[in-house]
Amino acid sequence: MELLPFFEWAETSFLGYIGKTYGGVYATFGQSVHLMSLAVLGGSVLVTDLRLLGVIMKDVPSEIVADQAHKWFRIALGFMLATGIFMAAAVAQRMYYNDFFWAKMSALLVGIIFVFAIKRPLLKGNHADIQPWLLKLVAVASILVWFSVAASGRWIGFS
Amino acid sequence: MARECHQIRLGEVNRVINELLLQIAEWLYATGGSRAIEESFYLYNWIEATHVITLMLSLGMLVFIDLRMLGLAMPGVSAVKISERLNIPMMIGFAIMFITGLLLFYAKPTYTIQSIWFRIKMVLLLVAFVNAVVFNKRLKASASSWEFEPKAPRNLRISAALSLVLWAGVVMTGRLIAYDWFHCYRELPAWLGAAAGCVAD
Repeated sequence: MELLPFFEWAETSFLGYIGKTYGGVYATFGQSVHLMSLAVLGGSVLVTDLRLLGVIMKDVPSEIVADQAHKWFRIALGFMLATGIFMAAAVAQRMYYNDFFWAKMSALLVGIIFVFAIKRPLLKGNHADIQPWLLKLVAVASILVWFSVAASGRWIGFS
Repeated sequence: MARECHQIRLGEVNRVINELLLQIAEWLYATGGSRAIEESFYLYNWIEATHVITLMLSLGMLVFIDLRMLGLAMPGVSAVKISERLNIPMMIGFAIMFITGLLLFYAKPTYTIQSIWFRIKMVLLLVAFVNAVVFNKRLKASASSWEFEPKAPRNLRISAALSLVLWAGVVMTGRLIAYDWFHCYRELPAWLGAAAGCVAD
């Protein structure tokens, strides 16, 4: 499927127009809110994963930590997607030809599928019923996936 | 008359401080290390990427401590426990951000010292630090009486909310340093030029 026409359209859309025309809006509501959301999303991922690895909050049940962190993960992901779409629309054609943009989109897709199809269903139950090595494997995989999303996302700006 | 004299003296002090800061920045800029970092595509960008990605650790932990105080995360868990357990990873994150932040400044000292956003960011960081010290003092003094309550007492909730606002400001002004909308080589009102640290040639 040819995606270039979609990216060309995105740049001429209302969102694309706002982001392209008003640099201040792009930098504050786009980039800055995206970074704040990254902090919350990253915090919720790390709180859960470091707990599963037994690094932090060993005396707090991991079920509570995972449940509570997931709530904030969803909120942060919503803000990241909204601000990400806004930012990408403003420079859509440049994004289409940027390898790191596609690397980030791939990592993000893997991250979302991983969280909602594997990690969350697994962690919903009693963690004592799950093999410890599996919990640790999920935690390490989760950290790696979201680190890849953040790093490839930052690298979009450098390439 | 006395007020005018006072304003002139303040303006003079501000000019001297800005000149001194610029001289230090120019000296840093001329050092080999500064040039090496800025001119290395991978080194500079990886330092910047590390600075940004570490937000997930430093602010990520801080956000959960503040949300707990506000009753918005893990309300059934002792607030003191959350604060103490997340404090170490948070401080590791802040240490990494501090080191990478210093290196980023060192790479572009003359540009950064005359960025109004950098200056606002430093003020916000200072206020956030003072707020954190006050928060910790209040937490230690009162925690035993409420730590299992879903929400912290009002003064701690105010500190936690202020912390979130201040750090949002730090993130935003940090991001805006890259933009030169109000840099000294542009036409700026006198007050903004003085605030940004512009020095007459």
